[in-house]
Amino acid sequence: MTTGTVADGYRNNRVGPILRAGPLTAGIIEAAEEDNPGKTIRVDDKIAYVRIDTEGEMILRRTTLERTLGRAFRMQELEVSLGSFAGRIEMTEDMVRFYYEKTL
Amino acid sequence: MLQSKIRQRRMAVAFILLIERGDDGSSQIGAEKNDKPEEHAMALLDRSEWYDLARSTNWTPTFVTDEDLFPDVMTGAQGVPAEKWEVYDEPYKTSFPEYVSIQREKDAGAYSVKAALQRSRIFDDADPGWRSILKSHYGAIALGEYAAMSAEARMARFGRAPGMRNMATFGMMDENRHAQLQLFFPHEYCPKDRQFDWGHKAYHTNEWAAIAARHAFDDLFMARSATDIAVMLTFAFETGFTNMQFLGLAADAAEAGDYTFSSLISSIQTDESRHAQIGGPALQVLIANGRKAEAQKLVDVAIGRAWRIFCILTGPSMDYNTPLAHRKQSFKEFMQEWIVGQFERALIDLGLDLPWYWDKMIAEFDYQHHAYQMGLWFWRPTLWWNPAAGVTPDCRDWLEEKYPGWNDTFGKAWDVIIDNLAAGHPERTFPQTLPIVCNMSQIPICAVPGNRWNVKDYPLDYEGRLYHFNSEIDRWIFEQEPQRYRGHMTVVDRFLAGQIQPADLSGALAYMGLQPGESGDDAHGYAWVEAYRNRRMAAE
Repeated sequence: MTTGTVADGYRNNRVGPILRAGPLTAGIIEAAEEDNPGKTIRVDDKIAYVRIDTEGEMILRRTTLERTLGRAFRMQELEVSLGSFAGRIEMTEDMVRFYYEKTL
Repeated sequence: MLQSKIRQRRMAVAFILLIERGDDGSSQIGAEKNDKPEEHAMALLDRSEWYDLARSTNWTPTFVTDEDLFPDVMTGAQGVPAEKWEVYDEPYKTSFPEYVSIQREKDAGAYSVKAALQRSRIFDDADPGWRSILKSHYGAIALGEYAAMSAEARMARFGRAPGMRNMATFGMMDENRHAQLQLFFPHEYCPKDRQFDWGHKAYHTNEWAAIAARHAFDDLFMARSATDIAVMLTFAFETGFTNMQFLGLAADAAEAGDYTFSSLISSIQTDESRHAQIGGPALQVLIANGRKAEAQKLVDVAIGRAWRIFCILTGPSMDYNTPLAHRKQSFKEFMQEWIVGQFERALIDLGLDLPWYWDKMIAEFDYQHHAYQMGLWFWRPTLWWNPAAGVTPDCRDWLEEKYPGWNDTFGKAWDVIIDNLAAGHPERTFPQTLPIVCNMSQIPICAVPGNRWNVKDYPLDYEGRLYHFNSEIDRWIFEQEPQRYRGHMTVVDRFLAGQIQPADLSGALAYMGLQPGESGDDAHGYAWVEAYRNRRMAAE
């Protein structure tokens, strides 16, 4: 790979959470599929962390997560697993949104 | 004024409501709400219903002027007036009760390994190269976390926006947690290996790598205004480079079976991921008020300095000290993933540009950490850990695959070392001369050896003193604020000035605080040379 192609690696619009290894991962992937209809959700499992992303915007709703995790869930609990994220974040009690304002 | 009083009264009401609810932080408010929503619906307001009000902590001072209360030198507001900062809205909010509850859960996870750690055989079974990663990490990072705590405290006091002060209060507690955690774990290992004592000791010495780390962290965290810290520490350093050491390296740790370390550092990064969001809105306020050039410069300085530190700390850890079988990706691939693909993309989204030196830094991905690795191993007596050479024949094949041309450059320099070791002359593999140390990074100036030799000093004459730099990037950083950096002496400057006596290796080790039993040597006791010796004997 040449320096030029590496340097252009920022030209992407992929957004989403990067989760530490933990019990939430499968439920979050399922919720990502459900809350973002029509979008391809990419999952890159590096064991210690799992990168879950899609193009432009990803939404995760608390009600969906409660269903996929099979238990009550506070949105803030996501923080225990949220090692990092791609994109910007908007966090409320009912949902979290990862997004970019600009499309490259 | 009237508005302030109304706000204060509303705030008082909001706090009384919280107190009456008995939100002492330990209660599982959300869980209760979810378990029995109909019973608690009246008692609990959603955070979003009171957060903005509770956060409105600006007031009109009457005993002192606003300028005295928030001097520009401490706020770093660059003349952007207070009302312009009112739009600051932190995107990743939390409240104190939520914070306490979530942090308690995180700590329960992190410290639960304490008992397991004491029983674990990971320490005894781990490859010596992996143990060296732990030692270099704790020594370079643990007390840097205290520096970051001071920086967060400065934002908590002098941040121009109430939201910044609020989030920085949590950030300050986060960083204290990180320092405590990363002192606790090496302390557990001290009885087995005294080099782990350097988890606490390193920053209290003049060991050269400790000077390099301190110089960078003092510059980015300790000696900056609140706004500078928001941009340089939380945005550039934490949304960018800490991911490399705290998540990228966690991937290697999990591969190596060290789940304790993997879990510990990735848990730390969940705090960073929240409080790092202090920087984004600060950048937006600066850009919206005509300070883009100033903001860009802060970001460019911070990325340049952070790159050097992570290049020497994370680069050799990933590509040399991590046993070959456990390498998840190369350092360059992790840089592409975290810094190019994720961090720089976020920077563009906020309205900033790529640093002017972008292509130069990308080019360094191919060689700079290999050069640092040679220096670390060569000057190994001056380290508090035992660096792995990481150049067995199999390792070299991997390096050549990941970094085409490695054998023709770095490999040729390693060949000389290997020849001497194989011939029974280890004394020829120790340094006899002093390196030239960069007056910005405090790391020896180095680049590509062998057939593509490009090692070059970037000098600068400033006020009659000749300074040396590793690259145009380092020199540019100095030139932005020469009066800030001009008085500092590198460890070699101190040597040449006669401050280190006797002026030999023993004097240098004493100056650096390296006691017998602490001074570094090859991680594997040179056992890896055997493969080369056997090859040569077979060839003969």
